[in-house]
Amino acid sequence: MELDINGRMNKSLLHTVLKTYLIAVIVVFIIVAPFFYFSLKKLYLDDVDEALLLRKKEFMIKQLPYLNQKDIVLWNKFNRESKIFPNERLKKDSLFFKYYYDSLDHEEEPYREINVPIVINNKPYIYSDKMNLVESEDLIESITILFLITLILLLITLFFVTKKVALVIWKPFYNTLQQIEKFEIDKMNYPTFSDTDIQEFVRLNQSILKLIEKNVAIYQQQKEFVENASHELQTPVAVIQAKMDTLLQSGDFSKKQYEIITSINENIARLTRLNKNLLLLSKIENHFYSDKQRINLNDLIKKQLDFFIEQAESKDISIITELNENVNVFSNYTLVEILISNLILNAIQHNIPQGKIIIKLTQKNFIVANSGKTQPIPQEKVFLRFSKTDPSAKGNGLGLAIIKKITELNNWQITYSFSENLHFFTVLF
Amino acid sequence: MGLIKLKMNNYSNISYHQMGFSFKCKYGSNNKINFSSKFLQNQMFIFDPMKILVIEDEKELAESIISYFSGNGFVCEWAKNTESAIEKIICFEYDCILLDLMLPDGNGFKILEELKKENKNDGVIIISAKDTLDTKIEGLQLGADDYLAKPFHLSELLARVQALLRRKKFKGNNIVVFNEIQIDVLSKEVKVNNTKIELTKKELNLLLYLISNENKVLSKNAIAEHLSGDMADMLDNHDFVYTHIKNLKNKLKNAGSGNYIKTIYGIGYKWQNE
Repeated sequence: MELDINGRMNKSLLHTVLKTYLIAVIVVFIIVAPFFYFSLKKLYLDDVDEALLLRKKEFMIKQLPYLNQKDIVLWNKFNRESKIFPNERLKKDSLFFKYYYDSLDHEEEPYREINVPIVINNKPYIYSDKMNLVESEDLIESITILFLITLILLLITLFFVTKKVALVIWKPFYNTLQQIEKFEIDKMNYPTFSDTDIQEFVRLNQSILKLIEKNVAIYQQQKEFVENASHELQTPVAVIQAKMDTLLQSGDFSKKQYEIITSINENIARLTRLNKNLLLLSKIENHFYSDKQRINLNDLIKKQLDFFIEQAESKDISIITELNENVNVFSNYTLVEILISNLILNAIQHNIPQGKIIIKLTQKNFIVANSGKTQPIPQEKVFLRFSKTDPSAKGNGLGLAIIKKITELNNWQITYSFSENLHFFTVLF
Repeated sequence: MGLIKLKMNNYSNISYHQMGFSFKCKYGSNNKINFSSKFLQNQMFIFDPMKILVIEDEKELAESIISYFSGNGFVCEWAKNTESAIEKIICFEYDCILLDLMLPDGNGFKILEELKKENKNDGVIIISAKDTLDTKIEGLQLGADDYLAKPFHLSELLARVQALLRRKKFKGNNIVVFNEIQIDVLSKEVKVNNTKIELTKKELNLLLYLISNENKVLSKNAIAEHLSGDMADMLDNHDFVYTHIKNLKNKLKNAGSGNYIKTIYGIGYKWQNE
């Protein structure tokens, strides 16, 4: 688990960093490579030009003054690159590129050539000197390849260094991440962060701890508030209830008054139910029902079944049971009892006349299916507190929230589905 | 029965415990009632009053309880805090104490401890808004006999008190008699004119509950909650009450009993001597 999380996270973090590096390197390479190439070429050309000019200067000073017209043929014979030939219209020095056929390599090769107008024995001549550029191209190519190799090596080094450094540097971060992932506000398991000397992580851990403490405090207050509020409500409700019971004794009422009294009575009952359910929810959240025991679900359901059948019959609903014997769970008895009765009563409450309820218990799950509305309940609303699909229904919208809470507490799963006009509630053990 | 009621009405403005004696008319005028041993020892007392101490800081609730109980032949006193409650417990003997746990000057458990210290054998029913298993267990361990969470129906409280008094006073011979109806609570046997009739568990429960609340109008909600116990919180449909009432009525009628169950339109039912 730890490795998995770490591995996955590492990869993604590294991935991002390395991707950035790679893109940056490629961009730099694309921009720099031509520039680099042309600069190198230019530098080399300058060097060649300088060499040609130097050779020209040497020729002008050391050779030209002693050169006679008749020596030209001989001179040309002994100089491979330099030539002297008659000038027709060249007025000043010129440097240019020219291709010559290389008889040795059998191909055209680029040359840099200098032509200088000279005068020998009062006759105009051209001094021409040239240098092969093939070597320079090779050199530039080699340098470029070297440059590329260096760059790639740099990237590989960067990759390993980054990975190594990330693993070391980000370790406290992953630790923190893991702790936060494990944290559940209603379980009160405060995270313990490992020590780190990196300032940002110390700050991160401190901020998270502060945030968690604050949230836990707020959560605690809210829980206590619900519990206290429901407790405080009990007394006034008890007084109203008692007063109503007393009022009932006082004798003859008109039909209208009876209707009002009945309505008040029903709503006191509703208020009592709501309050008791709120209390139950907060008690479950406060881990009030923590003692666990082995429970035979079949026995538990059968014990309650008579009551449910009676309830269902009064609404003309038939109950079909399919109970596997010997299904045992290890849980809190009260909570499992509430889970089962809430599920079945929910199926009775939201049923239709002549409807049916299927109660099925297997080793893997407990299913309560009921006829009812022909539309499925929106999934996101099913187990939400106070969410009611039918606003006129007498339920308080807490029954399924309580069911959800109990399954969560037992690490069971509750799912809702709708098929063949039946609403299925399935508890997966 | 009528005579007794008349008497009660005459004295209704007199504090019962000052009268020195009162009467018990719980199960009608039938002389076969199993009177308490106290009655047999002190023949000068025709009726033995059931004395109740209500320890409850909420005045309104205490008043309602007292008024409801008084109509059925109980003598009630009220203590609004621990101090006055302990004072009363030491000076007087009560058949039953209704104890609220959350009192302004301390925890109600203190009173239970005091009762133990004084070696008193008063029956105690805790009535508390704090409906937790822990307080329930602690209360029962400290000597309370029953526990009723607020809010409750007065009829439920009365039925619980009656049941407690039956257990305490008539050990081993727990028989409730109403005219020709005779119920053995322990063996769950019901006889009408000495002929046994078969009642379901629920019907027997209902019959006892109705007789316990003689002359009281019982709402369908209250009956449903009594019959369904812990499950009552989840119910929103009380139609099943009608079925049970109907069945019970028929069985009693077929056995030759009087028609004591009156239907109160729109509200519920009432057990009343014809």
